[in-house]
Amino acid sequence: MQTIKRNILAVPILVWIGLLVGIPLIFVFVLSFLSRDSLGNIVVQFTLENYQRVVDPIYLRVFLNSLLLALLTALVTLVIGYPVAYITANLDPKKRAFSIGLIMLPFWISSLLRTYGWMILLGNAGIINNVLLAIGVIDRPVPMMYKFSTTLIGTAYMLVPFMIVAIFNSVDKLDRSLLEASYDLGASKRQTFFNITLPLTIPGIAGGFTLVFIPALGLFYVSDLLGGGNTIFLGNLINTQVTRGRNRPLAAAFSIAMIIVALLVISLYSKVAKDDREGLFQ
Amino acid sequence: MRLKARRFGTFYLSLFFVALYLPVLSVILYSFNASPSTAQWTGFTFDWYRMLFRDRVIVEAFKVSMEVALITSVLSAILGTASAVISMWVTDRMKNAIQGMMILPLLIPEVALGIALLIFFNALRLPFGHLTLVLSHSLFCVPYVYIMVQLRLKEIDRSILESARDLGATTWQTVRTVILPLVIPSIITASLLALAMSLDDVIISTYMSGPKTTTLPVHIFSMMRVGVTPKVNALCTLILVGMFIVVGLSQLFNKKQHKEDL
Repeated sequence: MQTIKRNILAVPILVWIGLLVGIPLIFVFVLSFLSRDSLGNIVVQFTLENYQRVVDPIYLRVFLNSLLLALLTALVTLVIGYPVAYITANLDPKKRAFSIGLIMLPFWISSLLRTYGWMILLGNAGIINNVLLAIGVIDRPVPMMYKFSTTLIGTAYMLVPFMIVAIFNSVDKLDRSLLEASYDLGASKRQTFFNITLPLTIPGIAGGFTLVFIPALGLFYVSDLLGGGNTIFLGNLINTQVTRGRNRPLAAAFSIAMIIVALLVISLYSKVAKDDREGLFQ
Repeated sequence: MRLKARRFGTFYLSLFFVALYLPVLSVILYSFNASPSTAQWTGFTFDWYRMLFRDRVIVEAFKVSMEVALITSVLSAILGTASAVISMWVTDRMKNAIQGMMILPLLIPEVALGIALLIFFNALRLPFGHLTLVLSHSLFCVPYVYIMVQLRLKEIDRSILESARDLGATTWQTVRTVILPLVIPSIITASLLALAMSLDDVIISTYMSGPKTTTLPVHIFSMMRVGVTPKVNALCTLILVGMFIVVGLSQLFNKKQHKEDL
């Protein structure tokens, strides 16, 4: 009785999220098995056709493109972000606070603006081409837009702060006496880094990987603006199926596939970071 | 050797920050360019800003965005704080359930969540517009308020709560007179973050906008798809300035909180 009384206030919260997340997810799941009539209207008739199309070579390619993009985004942000987190954690307090501020500030800057900034820099009439032309390095603009790599720059740029914050937290928690012990025992800086620091910050790396990989699967506005639709990703495909193609059952099937990938990544994360008492979002 | 490593560290960090802020600064700089193309700099102008205020679609979208963001942040502040405070009293199992539910919307790719909500609201025959925008935005804003308030609650000395109870305060009195005053700065910071996230959302808003209620980011996205124009630069710069005022305010509250802690 006492426990029921204690828990009763929490029920509305669970109902609220359950209603807004749980039920819509069930709807998507059901819809992904429905078919369409010749006019494109949804009819209640069970079919596996939508999932067959997910593994159809044309669409499978889109799927693989997205996985590749998300994976490369995570790797690029890790390689660029790890040193930033590591250096920042070892700065003296004043500089450290300043550096953290600069890392966090982009969270407050519109993500469209940050994507658009690259359009201005990388375009044929963009700033980088203009500067290179002006100093005579090139004699005609180098095309840099609308490539797979342009999209990769955009997603990595957008998500690198997440990677840095995740790694920073685990570098910061590192027990310094372990590093001193390692030096005292005659290990070099490099040996200490690879034998002590890196293994101990793996939960942070895994956390950053998860926080980067999942959004990178679906940032359709980045690939739309910077990739120009030359490479089609899952986010773009789902988006066009819903807004223009009006094939919602297919979009639903792709959404389910995307959620499954996300869940796989999360379960991988919880395996790697199971000793880490703090969760992804703490 | 140490000095060399330290110098390299500072150099790498500086290089990273230049790359991090170069795109942003470029957008701001070219909002003042008299030429409509980034190919050349033909002089300084405010014309693009003037054009913005005359564009009725932009002004209308801005209004929608502001209304949605304000309602969302107030709603998220209330729901997020309530969830965090209630979590202090429930059983551990219930606490885990709340935590799991809160994190759920953050773990689902935004496109998938957007589609799910679109299908759900469509089936309910809800009119797409303010209501659907607020409901969907609160889904990713409430969890952040919850997380930030909960982090602050963890810092509160449990013995304060026990003394309040020993002195005869009811649970509600304890919440009102002891807990809330301690977490107010966190609530304000978190709801400002919610405001920023709501104002910035593109993906979910794409599916939640009604025929006449488009949010600003959704409209800006459609402008950007056409290509680079200084008008977009000017609009983005204005949003940036507005957002920095919000960050400034939240920093102010943070500072105050830290002073009180000391």
